[in-house]
Amino acid sequence: MPAVADPPLPQPDLLAAIPRLRRYARVLTGDVNRADDLVQETLARAWEKRRLWAAGTDLRAWLFTIMHNVFVNQRALARREKLQLSLDDGGEGNEAWQIPVRAAQYTRVELIELMQHVGRLPTDQREVLLLAAVEELRYEEIATVLGIPIGTVMSRLSRAREKLRNAFADAPSGSASLKIVK
Amino acid sequence: MNPLPVTDADLNAYVDGQLAASRVAAVEEAFARDPAMAARVADAKRHNADLRDALDPWLADPIPERLLAAAARQPKATRKPVRRWLVPAAAVATGLAVGLGTGWYTRDIQLERAGTPTTFTRQAALTHALYAADVNRPVEVWAPEEKRLVAWLSKRLGFAVTAPDLNSSGFALVGGRLVAGHENPTALFMYENADKQRLSLQVRKQRVEGGEVAFRYAVENGVGVFYWIEDNCSYALSGNIDRAQLLAVGRSVYGQLAALESSSKQ
Repeated sequence: MPAVADPPLPQPDLLAAIPRLRRYARVLTGDVNRADDLVQETLARAWEKRRLWAAGTDLRAWLFTIMHNVFVNQRALARREKLQLSLDDGGEGNEAWQIPVRAAQYTRVELIELMQHVGRLPTDQREVLLLAAVEELRYEEIATVLGIPIGTVMSRLSRAREKLRNAFADAPSGSASLKIVK
Repeated sequence: MNPLPVTDADLNAYVDGQLAASRVAAVEEAFARDPAMAARVADAKRHNADLRDALDPWLADPIPERLLAAAARQPKATRKPVRRWLVPAAAVATGLAVGLGTGWYTRDIQLERAGTPTTFTRQAALTHALYAADVNRPVEVWAPEEKRLVAWLSKRLGFAVTAPDLNSSGFALVGGRLVAGHENPTALFMYENADKQRLSLQVRKQRVEGGEVAFRYAVENGVGVFYWIEDNCSYALSGNIDRAQLLAVGRSVYGQLAALESSSKQ
């Protein structure tokens, strides 16, 4: 039986999405190389599954959905390889993590501090915050991307914001402990 | 007329510019009454702006060559592995239709429509080979704790899974584990017979465009895999035993799942 040819994904939209995918992946993984691996895998998966993309709908949101799934699976795999976690440990995303900060990129020390606080958020809260605040996706789109109910989107967002606020309250700006990567 | 009370959801939506226009006035009035709330929202708005300030420069970074290549990748029109495994699959499907009567579907759905089943069979075979060869720890939870195992896996997969009883085929449950799937987590149940031969049944959620997929057979790296999709779940039964024997076990698995399914619907 001959394979039915699928329509290709729109090249300009795909290329336009890459910088955003990379940025999101960097905040997720905290590592430039791992982020690019994640984006590469996401693009490969998008081509494989292009039949599932409804032409005319937002390609970027669909790519974020794929990337989220790839990321979750990679993390599960990495956890399994590294350590045998206790079975009942849901333990999602509480690992210590730092966003690579390049001093020259930031004009204000608050930005470095903010990124450090964001890096300490649990992954699931970081994801929601990034998608809402930086990618400016609608809450319904975020729910689809992450495969969670919209109520969960809202509660994670509230918790993320509360944590950021408390973090700034606990550590007044200009504290000497900041580490800047040159 | 009293407006609805202002909720956290309203405040978040206000910060992210997603609040319905009709609610904006009510929220801003609440700020006047509640300076602490106003301060919280102001902080959140500043954090949004700062996050974009911090992260927008990354968008200008040059895209590495490998990502450009991945974006441009037109998948190959024909994939040899698919061809290779269609031939035995068709033969087996015919045999199954005779052997199993109404139980098995032989709908002629192109394999590729099932969301890359070749990936799944290959992965199932590799996973089986990896854990079946592990003498000391082929599973994470052992059979004596079957109830806990099933509850745990059901929770992680997001739907109820069961470990079929294969004692009538000579295979006893060893236990099970969670494995990373292609997109969704996969439950693995391991069985063993008196000759220490092991079988694994892997189950995971899989959305399928176009319905169920017939029972298929593939050999991946010397491991036989029976594979089918039903009710948005895919199943793979893998083992280093001969095809007829694997088929007999597969029939038992399928029968038990079908019986469970019909009893739960009544």
